[in-house]
Amino acid sequence: MRYLKHLQDIKFSPLALLDLTYIVVLLPLLLILKIPMLIFVGIVIAILIFKRTPTQKLGIFFIFILGVLALYLSLYGAFSFRGLSRLKLFLELLVYILMIVVAMQRLTREINFYLLISPFLFLALSLFFYHGMLMLIYVVFELFFLLWMILSHRMEGNVRDGFASSMVMFMYSLPWVVVLFIFFPRISFEHANYGFKSESIKRMGHDGTMYLDSKALLVPSERIVMEVGFENKIPPSHTLYFRGSILYTDKKDHWEGLPIYVKRETKPFYATTGLPIKYQISLYPTQKLWLYTLDMPSRMVKGSTLDRDLITTVKKPVKEPIHYEASSSLSPRFHDILDKKTLQASSFFDREQNPQTYKEAQKIEEAYISMPKRAKALTHFFKMRSLTYTLKPDALDINHTTDSFLFDTRRGYCVHFASSFVTMARMAGIPARIVTGYKADPANGLKNYLAVKEEDAHAWAELYIDEHWVRFETTSTASKVESNGEIIDPNQSAQSTSNSLYKEVNLYLMYVKYQVETWILYYSHIRQLQLLDYAKKNPAFIVSFVLSLIALVLLTFIIIAYFKRPQYSSETLAIMQPLLKRLKKEDHLRSDEETLHQYLLRYSNSYPQKLLIAEIDRLYEHMIYANENSKNKQKELKTLIKKFLKQKNG
Amino acid sequence: MKSLQKFIQIHRSINQHATRFSLLVVIMLFGLFMEAYMHDFNLVYITFFFVFSLAFSAGPIGVLNLGNIQAKFNIQGRIFAQKETNILFNINNTSSTSSWSITLHDNNDAKVTLTQIKGESSKNAVLPFLVYKRGTFTYDNCYLESKYPLSTARLTKPIDEVYEGIAYPEPKGRSLDTFLHEQETHYGEEKEFDGLREYDGSQKVSHIHWASVAKGEMSVKVFTKETKIHNLLFTYNTLPGDKESRLSQLCLWVLECEKRHLTFAIQMPHKQLTSKKESIDEILETLARY
Repeated sequence: MRYLKHLQDIKFSPLALLDLTYIVVLLPLLLILKIPMLIFVGIVIAILIFKRTPTQKLGIFFIFILGVLALYLSLYGAFSFRGLSRLKLFLELLVYILMIVVAMQRLTREINFYLLISPFLFLALSLFFYHGMLMLIYVVFELFFLLWMILSHRMEGNVRDGFASSMVMFMYSLPWVVVLFIFFPRISFEHANYGFKSESIKRMGHDGTMYLDSKALLVPSERIVMEVGFENKIPPSHTLYFRGSILYTDKKDHWEGLPIYVKRETKPFYATTGLPIKYQISLYPTQKLWLYTLDMPSRMVKGSTLDRDLITTVKKPVKEPIHYEASSSLSPRFHDILDKKTLQASSFFDREQNPQTYKEAQKIEEAYISMPKRAKALTHFFKMRSLTYTLKPDALDINHTTDSFLFDTRRGYCVHFASSFVTMARMAGIPARIVTGYKADPANGLKNYLAVKEEDAHAWAELYIDEHWVRFETTSTASKVESNGEIIDPNQSAQSTSNSLYKEVNLYLMYVKYQVETWILYYSHIRQLQLLDYAKKNPAFIVSFVLSLIALVLLTFIIIAYFKRPQYSSETLAIMQPLLKRLKKEDHLRSDEETLHQYLLRYSNSYPQKLLIAEIDRLYEHMIYANENSKNKQKELKTLIKKFLKQKNG
Repeated sequence: MKSLQKFIQIHRSINQHATRFSLLVVIMLFGLFMEAYMHDFNLVYITFFFVFSLAFSAGPIGVLNLGNIQAKFNIQGRIFAQKETNILFNINNTSSTSSWSITLHDNNDAKVTLTQIKGESSKNAVLPFLVYKRGTFTYDNCYLESKYPLSTARLTKPIDEVYEGIAYPEPKGRSLDTFLHEQETHYGEEKEFDGLREYDGSQKVSHIHWASVAKGEMSVKVFTKETKIHNLLFTYNTLPGDKESRLSQLCLWVLECEKRHLTFAIQMPHKQLTSKKESIDEILETLARY
């Protein structure tokens, strides 16, 4: 309010208020305008700035022609009657037409009904085009701004008083909005899939192949691929494996899924052992078919397919952010019975391709009959090779990738570790396969929120042991980790990256964004039911919910009281208010013509025994007219008034 | 509780009427609901709830804005038919906060817009008022109106005061001087020179101040009267014109006599009115009711 004080004496004309309103409501729509339309808008603004008189009919007709031309050029090629069935194009056309009409009306410099209602139409139209968190903030601001401008108009252009009144009104309505938002029955159709302007960037996703050479998918980017909200706190780090695709076939330089002719039974064995967990995922566009679920999914995600390998896919590539709920049993293993062809595919290897590895694998196979022991021996063998985990590995011999990695370069990252481990496991007689997905870093989590980034992309191995697929973290066999050219201890590497304040702040912001998106932007009928269900199970939640609502109402009343407080011409007069209220309460009313001094004098004459009043009057007069308004004097006046108010019967 | 009771009391004193913006809000709410319903956009739902809540909260805010305003009017002086007069209203804001966007209306579609009425203060406003016919009249049905804050409702607060008054005949016709000129001997004797006045054609030719004529102005000499005749008599039946014009003429002379402190008598067909016995207001009232 202090910053608005200098606006106190400025009165905005109705046209100025209307212009400000148009600037605010048109801002998001300007981002969707094509260049010809932007030029048109620029011309209209230039005319309004440089020509201060109403435009004549001919000029308005010229603007109309110009507007139609801009509209034609903007939609040239995109527009046809068939195209109108595309709602987005139709809405774009509506925006253009409305802009032309508003420009024509505005140039007359007269306010009419159409100019008054058009900002609301622009606001409603802009809601079709954007649906992100930024737009949420902007829409709330827009609504407040519209209210501010309306009230300023009602208050003879006084924006300062308009601000205070609009704040009061906004605060009155806020608790209602919250209650309506939570409880208003959501009976909508499916969420429309247009809009999302800010989310057109493609994220990295897995596509059922894994390259070992320079084509390998290595994106050390911090861009978020998905955001996960757990019901409770984030599970331990060693369980945060998000399954993507499964790879069975070694193609020398890359791995692929099962050959097309192998048709596995579709009915999966759901994971039943392990810690059951529920969570929501917001997956950003990957342009791929895979959805990610924590190892091991225990229920099919709505609208997707879960195959025998517990891999979740959708029919169409993910081109817009999608939000789904998933359930998993946190376990590194799950039961499966392999058919003959799958078993063959999981056991296939070419001994000529990696002879050295085969030789070592044979030794292990011969030494250990038990599969778990063999697997353990394999892990031990990898650990003994002094392998280095690095994102900048040396090029492998593409015809002998495993040999090259284990016996030559001994440097690589997850794909090289997983590929070599699976190859050697097969050579040692254990069916194995590669799983690609994400291994989330708990450092990117806060409370129940976890952000999974592109740099968390990972590959690991699954070995088929005793009718179970068992996960093996192959990169844990690395003896050294190389980061930015430096060798660091693998046990410390996970902690060394997340200490900066920037990261922490960024994480908090991401957490807030996620919560807003989950509970506001994507709040739905299902969420309502969940909330209700949760409330039924947790009476304490109902109490805390009601208390939160009461707190919100109290907060709004505090803000209202602040903005509704009477404004006095001087600080001294404000100090006098408790006294004046008391005198009024005593039915000692001040007449319109009476000065404060006369009023107090009259009181003194009526009640000569109340000597303090005369003293207060003297001090007040001195402070006002001698302009001695120091802090000490104010304190003195306050003390005198307090003393007077404390006295019985004044 | 006390505040709630006060609010209910205020609310009862206010009438609410729909405006075209009420219809606009309804259309907007319907449109936003359809947009939200069809596309499941929470942003639209939020906008929808805000519009609804703001329109909802506009009601009590508007009621408090107008409800704390008290208005009284004061009619002083004589009211004459066909003569516009000003009615003074005293507007008082009893709340501690300012009230805005209020207009004052009377029953003849006259209105005046009041600027900000600061908390616990009062201000005056004036409304023009015209009575078309002589006789009794009633001044009532005045009201305060406001569309604050959102124009979605037109709130009116009636001013309960009723004034029943009498409008005297429109004073018009020949001036008293003309009348006296016709009966100059009856007016007394000039004694002492009082000054010059502009000649309007009704004065004696002998009173023309010729020196001023030479300067291009035409003034007449005015004398204070030492004695005034006591038998200034206006006879209703001898006056020209119809009933209304006769009454108007008499009204004019009565007012002029009052101004000049002259005593007079009016001979009505069945009654004689004398300024010695009756007050000027009583005489004017008799003329108004005739």
